[in-house]
Amino acid sequence: MTLIKWSDEGGTVRLGLPSDLDLAMAQPLLDSLRAGFAASGTVIAEAAAVERVSTACVQALLVASRHAAEHNRTFAIAQPSEILAEACEDLGLDGWLKQWSQA
Amino acid sequence: MEDLSRFKQTYFDESAELLEVAESGLLRLTPGEVDSDEVNAIFRAVHSIKGGGGAFGFTELVAFAHEFETVMDGVRNNTVPVTTELVDTLIRANDLLGQMLAYAREGDPAPAGTTDGTVAALRRHLSGGAPQAQAPAAAPAAPPPTPVYAPTYADDEDDEAGLFGDAMAAIAAARAEEDPVPPGKLRWTIVFRPRSDLLMSGNEPAFMLRALRRLGDATVECHTDALPNLQNLEAELLHLSWTVTLLADADVDLDKINDVFEFVADDCDIRITAEAPPPAAPEAPPPVTDPVPVATPPTVVAAIPEAPKAEPPKAEAARPRPNGGGAEHAGLTSHTIRVDLDKIDRLVNMVGEMVITQAMIAEHVRELPPGEFQELLEGLEQLAQHTRELRESVMSIRAQPVSSVFSRMPRLVRECAATTGKEVQLVTSGETTEVDKTVVENLVDPLTHMIRNSIDHGLEGPDERERVGKPRAGTVHLSAQHRSGRIVIEITDDGRGINRPKVLSKAIEKGLVQPGATLSDEEIDNLIFLPGFSTADQVSNLSGRGVGMDVVRRNITSLGGRIGVYSTPGEGSRFVLSLPLTLAVLDGMVISVGEERFVLPLTNIVESLRPKAADLHGLVGKCDVMMARGEYVRLVYLHQLFGIPGAVADPTHALVVLVETEDGSRLGLVVDEVLGQQQVVIKSLEANFRRLDGVAAATILGDGRVALILDVAGLREMSRHMDSRAPRPPSPPVAALPAPALEPV
Repeated sequence: MTLIKWSDEGGTVRLGLPSDLDLAMAQPLLDSLRAGFAASGTVIAEAAAVERVSTACVQALLVASRHAAEHNRTFAIAQPSEILAEACEDLGLDGWLKQWSQA
Repeated sequence: MEDLSRFKQTYFDESAELLEVAESGLLRLTPGEVDSDEVNAIFRAVHSIKGGGGAFGFTELVAFAHEFETVMDGVRNNTVPVTTELVDTLIRANDLLGQMLAYAREGDPAPAGTTDGTVAALRRHLSGGAPQAQAPAAAPAAPPPTPVYAPTYADDEDDEAGLFGDAMAAIAAARAEEDPVPPGKLRWTIVFRPRSDLLMSGNEPAFMLRALRRLGDATVECHTDALPNLQNLEAELLHLSWTVTLLADADVDLDKINDVFEFVADDCDIRITAEAPPPAAPEAPPPVTDPVPVATPPTVVAAIPEAPKAEPPKAEAARPRPNGGGAEHAGLTSHTIRVDLDKIDRLVNMVGEMVITQAMIAEHVRELPPGEFQELLEGLEQLAQHTRELRESVMSIRAQPVSSVFSRMPRLVRECAATTGKEVQLVTSGETTEVDKTVVENLVDPLTHMIRNSIDHGLEGPDERERVGKPRAGTVHLSAQHRSGRIVIEITDDGRGINRPKVLSKAIEKGLVQPGATLSDEEIDNLIFLPGFSTADQVSNLSGRGVGMDVVRRNITSLGGRIGVYSTPGEGSRFVLSLPLTLAVLDGMVISVGEERFVLPLTNIVESLRPKAADLHGLVGKCDVMMARGEYVRLVYLHQLFGIPGAVADPTHALVVLVETEDGSRLGLVVDEVLGQQQVVIKSLEANFRRLDGVAAATILGDGRVALILDVAGLREMSRHMDSRAPRPPSPPVAALPAPALEPV
């Protein structure tokens, strides 16, 4: 299992999303999200560096947000890059991103 | 496994064509003049290659194609600006995609790092073209309390038709009441439900949805109800679907929307409906009761049924224009089939044998008593006619437009121009001219050589051109046309023309011409076709190695063609290639010389006649000529050229067949008899024996004898050499004529 870069700071897991969130990155992202929620009640996905994004990765983040809501956990997408925002808009998920990335 | 191999072969064949499409489009991609159709065509080509590659598991290829495609999507989306550097990168990417296909075809992995440089270059354009991410002021402190999305409609895998029907009805009915479509617009509702494995074939829904946005004012609604929970999600399976409402101008039609989904038609369920504006009468808004096709608004103008449930063959994903899952949609129906070339060649061979058999029957029929077996004779006449039509039909299957070769030349010109620092404009015409596939394939190298030569040797640099009053950019014109049953291809440049003094001195220096020899302009020009000849002072990457034009001539000759050069100092040069349209069968006239039989291509023959003694003249120390239709024509004695004993030597007792070459010059061939017209099957002499001067090929006649097919222009060259080498044997008694009166023939 490959995990993407993450850190645990005071009970908050921060996932540093890589610049390339293509299809091949969907599995590591999903594994990391699972591991993050297993380790902590708060998972923050740092998305400032994202330059390419696939629907599979957006879907993984979407499922993570649903998981957080259903299990009373905390999840957020921090500093989403413009590329990620555009991809979400294309996918009709701009409202979702806005809600889960609010400060 | 065998089937898979066949599908793979189809994929590679189609990918080769798609690469050409992409390259042609890229070469036409000009900064500041971006044609969106062109960009879309390139995108589609790359996307198709990627999609098919995904189906076969060519992961490296798919990954690279994805990079390429992403940049093309940026170009489509106007987020990546088109610059000369970008076009260069994309052309390199297209080349590399071809290499990746070659590796995939061989089953070899690409060497490590093969794509790294190009991928990095592509990404640089992407990051340079698209705005970079801007970080918000602060990270989120607290998550939202509840999920955002509620299901829009229930997921029901078992009742897709019901789902679609109900959903579409509800959407259309509700919207028509609440928000009528403005005049001049159509409101499309597109329900897009991908199969869960869509992503694994390299397809990206975001691209499709973005493409829809470009067609008008789109609202995209994502349906998330089918998402599994975090533990059960499989990363590469897709569980999302979408409903897009698109308010578009009336010129956006169903085809344009279908085009967006053309690569995934077999991998998703799509339902498309359209609402028109309400009728002009304001007092009676139409009731909305039926969402299926009705005449009053909301009008469902088209609906594509769901794709079949069954898994399509994997190679289906590689088709450039899949059927879209709806056979009734004529726009997506293919009118072509792909046939293995071996099958066509077998068919051509069989037709060739049939032509020979038909000739043999005709030969035997001649021996029947005159006036008898009339019905048999009529039947045979019909058979001959049908054989001819069959031959032409079969040949047309092998015929291809020369555009497949011409389309490669813009790139060559671009590269040559960059290397030489010259400004060059390539003009092409007659790209749709068709010729046999083998001829087309063998044209690439000769044309490449000649165009390189035209740019490197022929065209002047921009400053020099300006000094002599020419436009800074030189022009190379590449044209093709059918003429006299052959294809004639011309490469014309408006450069400085052949430097004859330089050519002659180089030829003397290399010992190709005796010092002090007097050569005509035409003869000097033709020196450039001699092996090892080059006037280039320095060897460059383009030319100057002296292996160019002689190879060109040899290649053209081996195809049964000829090449000529015509040059005017200061104005430019023109190379003329003449090639047969087909290499399989030709219409010929069988002639006899002594005991030998020859075939003359019918397209060369003007007429045959028996000259009077008064029409014949001899040029002292040169050749014999005949006055025919007001002009003198050189006589060529075939029995002398080929050393045939027992032939009729006196033209007044023999026959003279007047023939014409592609450049319009005429010869009179002295033969014993003209035996008759016949279709003959061309058998390569080079493949079975060796090349002979004056002979284009061989054939088998109806009586089983082998006959040589004559090359008229080759005969002319042979006769000239014979005249210059030795005194002419005393053949016909002809009157002397002063040499200067003769036009060159």
